[in-house]
Amino acid sequence: MALFLASVGFGLVTASVLAIAAVGFTLQFGVTDVLNLAYGAIMIAGAYVAYVVNQAGASVWVGLVAAVAVCSLGSVLVNSGVYAPFQRRGTSPITLVIVSLGMTLIIEFGVEAVAGGAGVSYTMSQGTTFHEGGLILTTVQLVIIALSLVIMAGVHALLRYTKLGKAMRATAANKTLARNCGIRTSRVITVTWALTGALCGLAGVVFAIDSGSFDPTATDIFLVLILAAVFLGGPGQAYGAMLGALVIGLATEVSAAFIPPDYKYVVAFVILLVMLGVRPTGLLGAPA
Amino acid sequence: MTYYLVNLLIYAAVDAMACLALNQQFGIAGVTNFGFIIFQAAGGYTAAILAMPPKSANGGFQSYIGGWNLPFPLPWIGATVAGGLIALPFTFLVGRRLRGDFAAVGLLVTAVLLNLLVTNYVPLFNGDAGLSLIPQPLQGEFNPLASGYKWGLTVVALLLCAAVYWFLRRITESPYGRSLRAMRDNDAVADSLGKNLLSLRTGMLVLGGAIAGLSGGVLVSYITTWSPAAWGYAETVVLFAAVIIGGAGNHRGAILGAILVPVGFEEATRYIPNSNSLPPNLIPSLQWVAIGLLIVLFLWFRPQGILPERKRVIPLPGLPAPRAGPPADGEKAAPAAPAISVRPRAAPPESPGPRPAVLEAVDIVRDFGGVRAVNDVSLAVRRGTLTGLIGPNGAGKSTLLAILAGTLRASSGTVIYQGQDITGMPAYRRARLGLVRTFQLASEFKRLTVLENLLTAVPSNRGDTLRGAIAGRRYWKGDETAAIARAQAVLSRFGLESLANSYAGDLSGGQRRLVEIMRALMAEPTMLLLDEPMAGVHPNLARRIGNELVALCQEGMTILMVEHELAIMDEFCDPVAVMAEGAVLAEGTMAQLRRRSEVVEAYLVG
Repeated sequence: MALFLASVGFGLVTASVLAIAAVGFTLQFGVTDVLNLAYGAIMIAGAYVAYVVNQAGASVWVGLVAAVAVCSLGSVLVNSGVYAPFQRRGTSPITLVIVSLGMTLIIEFGVEAVAGGAGVSYTMSQGTTFHEGGLILTTVQLVIIALSLVIMAGVHALLRYTKLGKAMRATAANKTLARNCGIRTSRVITVTWALTGALCGLAGVVFAIDSGSFDPTATDIFLVLILAAVFLGGPGQAYGAMLGALVIGLATEVSAAFIPPDYKYVVAFVILLVMLGVRPTGLLGAPA
Repeated sequence: MTYYLVNLLIYAAVDAMACLALNQQFGIAGVTNFGFIIFQAAGGYTAAILAMPPKSANGGFQSYIGGWNLPFPLPWIGATVAGGLIALPFTFLVGRRLRGDFAAVGLLVTAVLLNLLVTNYVPLFNGDAGLSLIPQPLQGEFNPLASGYKWGLTVVALLLCAAVYWFLRRITESPYGRSLRAMRDNDAVADSLGKNLLSLRTGMLVLGGAIAGLSGGVLVSYITTWSPAAWGYAETVVLFAAVIIGGAGNHRGAILGAILVPVGFEEATRYIPNSNSLPPNLIPSLQWVAIGLLIVLFLWFRPQGILPERKRVIPLPGLPAPRAGPPADGEKAAPAAPAISVRPRAAPPESPGPRPAVLEAVDIVRDFGGVRAVNDVSLAVRRGTLTGLIGPNGAGKSTLLAILAGTLRASSGTVIYQGQDITGMPAYRRARLGLVRTFQLASEFKRLTVLENLLTAVPSNRGDTLRGAIAGRRYWKGDETAAIARAQAVLSRFGLESLANSYAGDLSGGQRRLVEIMRALMAEPTMLLLDEPMAGVHPNLARRIGNELVALCQEGMTILMVEHELAIMDEFCDPVAVMAEGAVLAEGTMAQLRRRSEVVEAYLVG
């Protein structure tokens, strides 16, 4: 029982990290139509930006802000320099996925070329450890959970109450129609890359904090979890990604209490394949 | 030197086999298998555990399943079979329902996860450390260290590679291969012409998997080790880079790509001096970056690759030399069409009295999210009529047509075709029963010639199955010759003979519509469902198409045609059904309909 509760605590932290990443991924795909598999590589690039700042003597939280800025700008540039030109040319979605795999190699191994392949960690304090009702969480873990909740509330407010959010939803639903209604879709798409890129950088740093030590290929597996969360909720569905992140985060960590932890990702993998096979539009998406 | 050359040639042979298989899947059939490396890995492990002694051998330092100590060539055969069998569980990802990019993601994720599992689960294949001391073929009979042995193995590997090339070429250049390329260019249209996408894709996954498995088996027999590090997901990306750079859709291009990318990169970095001042990971990392860059740059600057897919020109007998340029739309005023029946299946027209319905829609409803696109529609199309379906934008005409053709599912209601309930029947099976549709948007197979577009639709060509394709040209030549003759007749009927060997993607809009109609006719339809066949077509050509359609109906064909233009309806269609806001408002002749106020109103207001 103690083990179960402790794993629920871990699950909540993983779900928090995953929710930030998955919401960013799903909004990016929904609005821009790019299934950007380089998302994990950009995450890890962000983690390394924070690492450089951290090594220079600043707090990792300062590094986090730097990572958010760099990944946001980087995502906008990757889109305007690579994905958008391909899309303007009418490239098929599948070719775009291949392009994004190429970008994955460029970014991920570009980071490795600069930083080396060895694992690194941030210099930081984990803070006090709290034992509350069976959950065991450190200050840093609580901060991650709180941060994630704030982001989720922010995304909700953005989509629900702002003009930009409505424009994003309209663009996601039907680009041509949105344009004909006077929405400047190209600007909405650029802003979306900036926003989701920021979420990607944020997710990269909290992922690195949460895992303790990381190397340039660390997000290869985490991308599987992101995809599982996104497809569980339905690709393009922000609330679906939140739900998916909660389910996948808890499922992987709680199962790790009962099966060898090396296999915990199998649960996410099975969920992803079942969703792809049975209901590719996800739990919250319309049936095909 | 021997070692260097042997090493180079064997790697080239193995990579070329893998690239050929991937090209067959991706370049020919359009199946983007991001999990390709799994199949090579499966072949490698299978060959290893079949050839290796029980795990207690060598002091039991490795743990693995199997260990059957089987003699050559059983490990290679086992590798081939394993590669093919492991494809079967993935077929559910590549059916009709799942988008190609989602299926690709599923396969990629599977590759990542299987690698993780094999790395961590030691009892299976010795985990992260991998298998080593894998016996080489016939190492009891010969000395594997002798240079004669090495050359022997090299020659066998090269011969196998040549055999794979010959075999895949045989398949690709057959009617079956043409169907694969059609599916690649537009899978929904191939489906509507009677191609079973699931079966075609399964065939390619299994065939490509078997070849990948064989390549893995040959590789482990040479390098005698096999571990998870050799088959990370990124290795698949390398093979994709090779196929894209060499030329997707061209088997020689795949071989060239294999020599340039996986082999070439290994060789090129061999000559970079190993300086101690460089970080240890720098060169391999930059190698990966370069492969990523090559993929992106080639897809941008030369997406067809170094050796592009070649055009399949089929000479037509008795055809005058091609004209300088393609004729403009409607340039020729309807010449007397040769009286060649294009549809041997249909029955002669009935004598007086109400004709029987060929196709009946009963209470069809279709919802998209909260929108009801088709609302309780019942419609009967009678034999030998050219029935028009007209209505304002968004009336649900195309949706109804798609439901009748099986492209979309009805939310509720029944579709009856020639007395048979076909509501749940997939599109390709409806097409095989003679219910064939065309599409509103251009839907030609772009990288097939006009003639190939037409030939693709021919049902019951003996060469249009994997088995028939393997049986070879002699087996299907008769069917093919007959199909070409029929295609030539249809082409001359529509005056497009001179463009037979042009790529369909290079034609004008009007000519493409013609290709689509001709292709539908080649499918030997009993009934045609046409979605705005004259949209964007020059009026002269539109009239010509209309006359041909009327002539077809007089020969006994039944046609349901969606159109916008009242003038076209006036001239050719009888009866006409009017749809607005998802429902059928009225049916009758155009003259009757014009007198009904709600119809006029729907048009003027809607």
